[in-house]
Amino acid sequence: MRIPRKLEVWRLGTVNYLKALKLQEKLASDRKINKISDTLLSLQHPPTYTLGKRRTDYNLLVPESELKTMGAELHYTQRGGDITFHGPHQAVLYPIISLRDIGLGARKYVENLESTMIDLSSLYGVKAHGQRKCETGVWVGDRKIGAIGVRISSGITSHGLAYNIDPDLTFFKHIVPCGIADKDVTSLRRETRQTDMVLPDEEVVQDQLVTCFARLFGYNDIIWKDKNDLEIDG
Amino acid sequence: MALRIWASSTANALRLSTATTPHFSPLSRCFSSVLDGLKYANSHEWVKHEGSVATIGITDHAQDHLGEVVFVDLPDTGGSVTKATGFGAVESVKATSDVNSPISGEIVEVNTKLSETPGLINSSPYEDGWMIKVKPSNPSELESLMGAKEYTKFCEEEDAAH
Repeated sequence: MRIPRKLEVWRLGTVNYLKALKLQEKLASDRKINKISDTLLSLQHPPTYTLGKRRTDYNLLVPESELKTMGAELHYTQRGGDITFHGPHQAVLYPIISLRDIGLGARKYVENLESTMIDLSSLYGVKAHGQRKCETGVWVGDRKIGAIGVRISSGITSHGLAYNIDPDLTFFKHIVPCGIADKDVTSLRRETRQTDMVLPDEEVVQDQLVTCFARLFGYNDIIWKDKNDLEIDG
Repeated sequence: MALRIWASSTANALRLSTATTPHFSPLSRCFSSVLDGLKYANSHEWVKHEGSVATIGITDHAQDHLGEVVFVDLPDTGGSVTKATGFGAVESVKATSDVNSPISGEIVEVNTKLSETPGLINSSPYEDGWMIKVKPSNPSELESLMGAKEYTKFCEEEDAAH
């Protein structure tokens, strides 16, 4: 008989990138010693460019000083993946979960993250697909709508996925997003513009993304916590 | 095979994404190779102890679950490793996964071929895909690791968990 699995979701609003990173590190080490159960951070970032472990900063097309003028930060991280942008109106999910408890490897975990974004897109009539020519991420045609960059340490995940609900896509012009040149970036807003589909408030869309995640990963219960319920400063 | 088709058509009926169903079959997991004569950690690294040197890498089961390795981060020779602690990482499918050392000791050699050809970890996890060679500081640590039979059972149980 399967033990019911619960996921604790922290709705954090807009959080500075480094603060979110420190929080993830603390939660990951708590999760490793089973002090907490599987937790997911649901948030957005102010304009931020990030690089992965391979430090592919040749994919940043403007000098760092210019980013500051734009009001954006740049951070180097230990996650997998290439350069990307995070900003307002982009849903970011950071699952801090134990893959060993559910017998998943990196490949299957990342496939499920792709499916999370594909399922959410389909709720709004947008046909997205993953693993385009072995390039991890979620695409509508050849336009990228969702990105993934993950870290797994002792079987515990951190970092996660970023899904474009309606961010300012011009920020992506300053990078070669995910190291893939001459391909467009898109958003749920852009893909539904020509259709009759009306998007609800983005908090609703972001919560639905979390629900898609929980269903795909077989959680029986979601416990929602808002910023005010938690002792964190943004 | 039949199981996979059932899952796919059910998923269609429920209008769920079928992206995950190609890997649904639990039967496919039991065919990763496990070599006799090696010792195994529950974080899926192997150790081959020959004389005063122990070679360390990740198992066939691990590389299969990772996907295609595109980048390997290894420490420098002369550094030390501690049992059950990370010494490096591999990147695959936009995920960096830490690699832990099954034993403690001093790093005497590092597989530099992996920076040019990280895919050796996938194609030859027990031979050309070795990661570091270590002089064990506490050889008794090897006793607490799993043998081939135990590790095979461990993998089966872990995969059955989902």
